[in-house]
Order: sequence, then C-alpha cells, then structure tokens
Amino acid sequence: MRPGTLPAGAARAPRGFSLPATLAILAVIAVAAVFPQLVRKPYMLHMGILLFLAIVQGAAWNVLGGYAGQYSVGHAAYFGIGAYATMMLLELQKVPPWWGIWAAVAAALVLSAIIGSITFRLRGPYFVLASISVAEIIRLAALHFKGFTRGAEGFLLGEIPTWHLLGMEVEFITKRPFYYVGLLLALVTILANYAVQHSRLGYFFQAIREDQDAAHSLGIDLTLYKNVALAISAVLTALGGGFYAMYVKFIDPNSVFGIDVSVQIVLICIIGGIGTILGPVIGAAVMVPLSEVLRNPKGLVQVGLLPSDSGFVRFVEANLSNAHVLIYGILVVVVILFAPDGVLGIVRRMLAGTRKREARPSAPAAT
Amino acid sequence: MTLLLQSVLSGVLVGGVYALIGIGLTMIFGVMRVINFAHGELLMLGMYLTWIVFTWMGIDPFVSILLTAPALYLWGALLQKAFINRILGALPQNQILLTIGLGLVMSNAVMLAFTSDYRILTTSYSSSSFNVGPVSVSIPLAISFAITAVITGLLGWFLLKTDTGQAIRATAQDREAAQLMGINVARTSVMAFGIGSALAGTAGALIAPTYYIYPQVGSAFTLKAFVIVVLGGMGSVVGATLGGLIVGVTESLAAVYVASGLKELVVFVVFLAVLLFKPAGLLGKSRT
Amino acid sequence: MAILEIRNVSKLFGGLAANSDVTFSVEPGTIQGLIGPNGAGKTTLFNCITGYYPPTRGDVIFEGRRINGLQPNRVCMLGMARTWQKVRPLAKMTVLDNVMVGALARTWSLRAARELAMEQLRVVRLDQKAEFLAGGLPIGERKKLEVARVLATQPRMLLLDEVMGGLNPAESEEIIQLILDIKKRGLTQMVIEHDMKAIMRICDRIAVLNSGEKLAEGTPSEISRNPEVVTAYLGEAIA
Repeated sequence: MRPGTLPAGAARAPRGFSLPATLAILAVIAVAAVFPQLVRKPYMLHMGILLFLAIVQGAAWNVLGGYAGQYSVGHAAYFGIGAYATMMLLELQKVPPWWGIWAAVAAALVLSAIIGSITFRLRGPYFVLASISVAEIIRLAALHFKGFTRGAEGFLLGEIPTWHLLGMEVEFITKRPFYYVGLLLALVTILANYAVQHSRLGYFFQAIREDQDAAHSLGIDLTLYKNVALAISAVLTALGGGFYAMYVKFIDPNSVFGIDVSVQIVLICIIGGIGTILGPVIGAAVMVPLSEVLRNPKGLVQVGLLPSDSGFVRFVEANLSNAHVLIYGILVVVVILFAPDGVLGIVRRMLAGTRKREARPSAPAAT
Repeated sequence: MTLLLQSVLSGVLVGGVYALIGIGLTMIFGVMRVINFAHGELLMLGMYLTWIVFTWMGIDPFVSILLTAPALYLWGALLQKAFINRILGALPQNQILLTIGLGLVMSNAVMLAFTSDYRILTTSYSSSSFNVGPVSVSIPLAISFAITAVITGLLGWFLLKTDTGQAIRATAQDREAAQLMGINVARTSVMAFGIGSALAGTAGALIAPTYYIYPQVGSAFTLKAFVIVVLGGMGSVVGATLGGLIVGVTESLAAVYVASGLKELVVFVVFLAVLLFKPAGLLGKSRT
Repeated sequence: MAILEIRNVSKLFGGLAANSDVTFSVEPGTIQGLIGPNGAGKTTLFNCITGYYPPTRGDVIFEGRRINGLQPNRVCMLGMARTWQKVRPLAKMTVLDNVMVGALARTWSLRAARELAMEQLRVVRLDQKAEFLAGGLPIGERKKLEVARVLATQPRMLLLDEVMGGLNPAESEEIIQLILDIKKRGLTQMVIEHDMKAIMRICDRIAVLNSGEKLAEGTPSEISRNPEVVTAYLGEAIA
C-alpha cells in the first residue's frame, strides 16, 4: 500500500461528531426550546409535537433495527402497550400520566422479554414475520377482549390532571406543555441512541448486526444482547405510545397496534439513514410534514404559507386526502431501490465523492 | 358430529383457495428467494378486477378468470422486471420492505380510485347450496374448489412435464447451476412472479362472490399466505397445497369451537408455533 | 497435561458422518496441524470443538474441562478462539472497532479495549488502517484483521481455519511469521491448512483427517513419510 493514497473501497469511516457539528446540534436544540415563545400559532406547535413523536418512534426502533440489525416490523406492539397502559390507568384508576408512564415502561419490559424469547430464535425474514405475527395477535386480542380493552370502541381521554411540578402548575390544556414533554422525550431517545452507540453495548449490537455467528464466536451472548437491545427499544417506543395517547386523546386497537404503525416506525428510521443518530431525525423531518400536508392541506393556510383559496389546497383535499399512506409506500420503494442508506447515506456518498477527488488517485482498485 | 363434518368440509373448500395463494407465494420464494409481502394485494387486485368486469359487463366471476389470470400475470411480470429484479441481491430485510412498499402503493392506489367502501359481488348462486347427506355445501365454494383442483393439476403438469416448467424448478433448486446449464434465470424469475401473481389474482376472483371486497383485504391474506407457506415448507408446491388445506380447516374449526372473532388469532398462534418448532415446515424439508 | 483433548468425536448430519470417532490431543504451547483432503471434516471438527454445533458423540476437553455442548461465546470466554475459513469481517465497522469487539469480551472499559485493540493491530501491522471500514479491505488484510480480532479476546488457544487460503506467497509468509510470533507468546494453536510447505515448517504435530476419520497423527516427518497420507492426498498412482 503506497502511503498517502486512498485505496478505492476502503473509505475512511466518519468518527462521531466534530466540533462544528456539535455546536450546530446544540443550536438546533436551543431553537427548539424557545420555539413556543416565538411562534404563537398552535398549529406550528402541533407540527412540532408530531415531529417529536416521530423522532421518538424512529430513534427507538433504531436501537434494535439500526444498531442490532433485528428488523422488527411489529413495534406497534410496544407503542400500543404504552398507549393503553397510560390511558387505562388514567381513565380507570385516575393515575396521572407522569406516574402511569412508568407502568407503560414496565409493561414494555415484560412484553419485550416475552416476545424476545419467542422471536429471537429466528433469523432474517423469519424474524420479521414473527414480529408481525406477534403484533397482530396483540391487536386481534385487544379487539376481541372487549371487557378489558373496550375493543374497537377504544378509550377516550377525559382530562389530564394538573401537574404540580417544581412549584409550577402545569395544565395540559394548550399545546405548549405537550410540546415540551415531546421535546424532552425526543431528546431522551436521541441521547439513548448516543449512549448506546458509544458504549460496549453499541459495539456488541453492531457486531450482531454485521455477522451474528462471528459475534457469537467472539464471546458475545447473542440472546442476552438481542434482548437488551429490544428492551431499550421497547421502553422508548412505549413512552412514545403513552405520550401519543395523552396528546391525541383517543386510542383504539387499530390506531396503535396496527401494522401501518409498525411500518411507519420502520420508515422513519430508514428514510433518514438506518443505524445513525441523526437518521431518525431526518426521517421524521421528511415524513411528518409530508403526511400532514396530505392529511390536512388547510394547515398550510393556517400557518400562512398559502392563501385560503389556493388551488393546491383544493386539489389535495379533493383527490389526495388520506393519500399519505400511498406516499409512504412510494417513499419506501424509492428509498430501498435508490438509497437504502437513507438521506444520510446519500449525503455521505456525495461527501466521500468530493474527498476522493481531492486525494491523488494513484492507487489501483484494492479489492 | 354434523357440526364437525360441516366445519371440516367448509374448511377444506376454503382451504383449496388458500392453497392457490400459498402456491403462488411459495413459487416466488422458491425461484427468487424473495418474500413477497405484496401477495395479498395481488389477490385484492384480482378481486377488484373481477368485480369491475362483473359490474360493468355482467361477466360471471368464474368465467372472468380467463381475463383476470393473464392480466395479473402481466402485472406480476412487470413488477418483477421493474422492481423485484433490482433487489435480488439485497438484504432480505430490504427485500421485505420493498414488497411491503409495493403492497402499500397498490392498496392505497385502489383506495383512492374506488374509496374504502366495501363492495359486494352477488351472483344468482352466491348463497345457494346443495346437500350431501347431513352437510350443506355452498355452491360458489364448491365451484372454486373444483376450479382450484383443475388449476393445481395443470400447474403440476406444467412444472413436471414441460421444458419451461422444469426450467423453473431447476432455477428454484439451484440458481447458479441452472444458469450454468444455459437456463435463462432472468426469464424464469419473471415467469415465476407472473405465475405467482396470476394464481393470487385467480384466488381473488374465486373468493370475490363470497368475501367483502375492499382495498385493505389483501393484508390479512398475505399473512395467511405466509402461514401456509411456512407450514408447507418454503418453496414446496405440494407443501403449500397441504398447508392451504390445513389452514382452511384450522380456521373453520377455530371459528366454531373457539370464537369467531379469534379465528385469525388462532392462525397466527399456530404460525408462530410452526416458525419456532418446525421452521422447515411440517413436511420437514430443510432447504438452505 | 494436554490443553485440548478430542475423544472419539463423531458428528453426523442425518446419515452422513462428517466426523467419525476422531481422537487426538494437543499439548500446550505447540502448533498442531490439521490436514486432509477437501471434505475430510476439518472445519466440522473446528465447529464441534468451538460450540458452533455439538458433537453427536464423544467429548471435547479443554484445560481439563468438558466443553462439548457449550455455546460459542462460552467457549471463547473460556479461552479458546477461532477464525473462519470464509473470512467474516464486521464489514460496516472500522478495523479498530472490529478488534475492539474482541477486546470488549474481557474488559468493560472502552479505553482499555481501544489500547488492547491497537496493540493487536500493531502486531498484525494493520494499525495504519485503524479507521478504515473493514468491508473495504483486500483479502490478505481481512485475514490479518480476523487474527487481530481473536487475539484481542486474550485466548489461550487459537484455532486457525485456512488462514492462508487465497493469499499470495508474501502474504502467506507474513501469516507464518505471525503464527510463530503467537507461539512465542505462549499460545497454543491448531491450524487447518492446505499449504503443505507451511504446515511442515511450523507444526509440532500434525493430525490427518480423511472422510471424517483420523487417518494418521505424528510429527511432520512421520506424516510426510506415511504412505496412506500421500495416497489420500495424491491418489494411488503416486504412493
């Protein structure tokens, strides 16, 4: 190997966040924190909340699917359990959600232990199928056992009690408190990803993803670490579910246990860039506005981006209402075919391209 | 006892159609090692096509198979050439996601075009039945079973006795070896996906007189198809046939003896059990 | 006391006996060769020893302890590590991270793991490429990476499966030197190889497998003069 040259194919791997990147991230968080003070339109806060929820979903899945390489397409099981646990405790036992959420966490841990013990014996596509089946079993059970879950009728939230927190009285009536809770959850999930990636766990998860048998032969207890990845992922997803229940105020088995929830969770992570910290954030930033515009084009009018007699709004309302799932489908196809490493993958390839052009290209193809 | 016989019989009749779905899916997996999550949507397209042809031209659903099957064959061939072919070497997880995406596009495009309203296709004999001793046999189900048997027979003959069919089987057994023998594996892949889609579409046509028709009807069938295929062993046509019958009967018995609302759940539980304990299928063929 | 004892190990796949009643032992600090024609059952034996699958019959005794049936991660933690015939780099991770995965088997500290990993990379002379993605390395460096990775798990015995396969003479020589260096560190090694010259050079003892059975065992000179071994490899005409 001639020194100073970059052999083709042996790209230098990016190492964590550089100083400018870290400052940029802190700036974004700061902006997000003061956003509600600057913007008065509740619709913008609503978008922010949806964005945070999507980040939580995508980043939570990333721990299991991105780092450990176990593609669960049944994560709605944990989302729904979090939603139902929090909702039912509030509605039936008057337990406020800031305590109820811990029950959601416990439920997710128990559920993930059970599901893990069943499904982790399977690999690749069989694991995917099993994960889907488990979520479907739970959804069908929730629909059927009406005495317990009220079946298809679902749960409607009455009201959330006042939270006496650090001398403040937080009323969950406007969107603002939800915004801050959402931001907090998103940050927690992102930090969890960061902590995993830069820890012994992260190394073991990624080894399992890259080559399970090799990892096994290097002293890694596959069952243990797969289950740890799942537990972390499940707990974070359940937190998202609990938050969703409190914000949307209505849940039923199909809206929280459905396979489209599971698919959406996977999508958020894949579109941005699977196995990265920023990937789910980017994925959320792409998917949330897209689906909101399609679901509710009037929203664009509400924020003043379009005039109220806009032809675009009329067209979307007339023809594309609820087309957001269609767009999801198209997005999946496009991403898998052309950018399986997501937006971040495209960016990275572009940057690597410029770096290669800078290095003197005198080494022959190495592989 | 009559109840038992009755449910087993209906289970078998429905199971025949399930077998068609399973055979299509297993062929696709056998030849390309692709797990087609859009299989149910292909069936759904078959249902809608049948309904359209019936509603606008009055053609009997069983007769319109002559139209639906080739149409779905062409559609499947197109899907294979345009999309599936590009990801044959990709991670299985990505393959699954791609087919999930295609399925979402198909079901939601249909939803935009036809709305989510449930459609029904009622023929003059939709609720007719005849009696064989103590049990009553639904006429549409009996006809579809008969047609399924004929199609399965034809397919078996095609795969065993024709050059093209043998080429398909060879590709399924060992793609590289088949290629080295001069078989155009790209073409057999297209054909396999086409045939698989045609079978799914035909199954859709067969059940159109007895099921509600709506855009999301596909996903339940996709999962059922997987249960069938795993039960019978991925890639085994005979296995898929048996698997279809088993699933049909299990569902029927579960509806009667457990609870109607839980019959799908029971199928999933059986599925998980098979995945865990007999992943190579009940027929036990272990394929690499 | 022998560090590794293989006692009457048989491995059946359905009706096929991939290993049939194989018995031999390996003395600590030595290099044991395991040779035989293709399909003789050498890798199968490695897999049985390291827990990839359990032997159908027989015992594997490592450092006085029966290890047949233990999971591969347990075997590694007990001090026996193996490389793979078909190299298995953790492709999307860097060279350094690959070796760190091995190092983290014994330590919880990332810093200690990083130091240990860099040390092993220096031993195999891959330290300049620490930040490169493992998947982009040429075959010779992948083999060295795999050796560095298992060395990081601090084994007392190393099983090398055709570690010289597919390498040019210069790369093979590098590996041979590496194996001899590893011997100097006190590790025991068992080496599957097809390169006869290398085997004769480095091994203290050699076991020969043929069609799943142990055909012969002895020093390199004994083996090279054994007519049955020559026949097995080269056919009747040469013997």
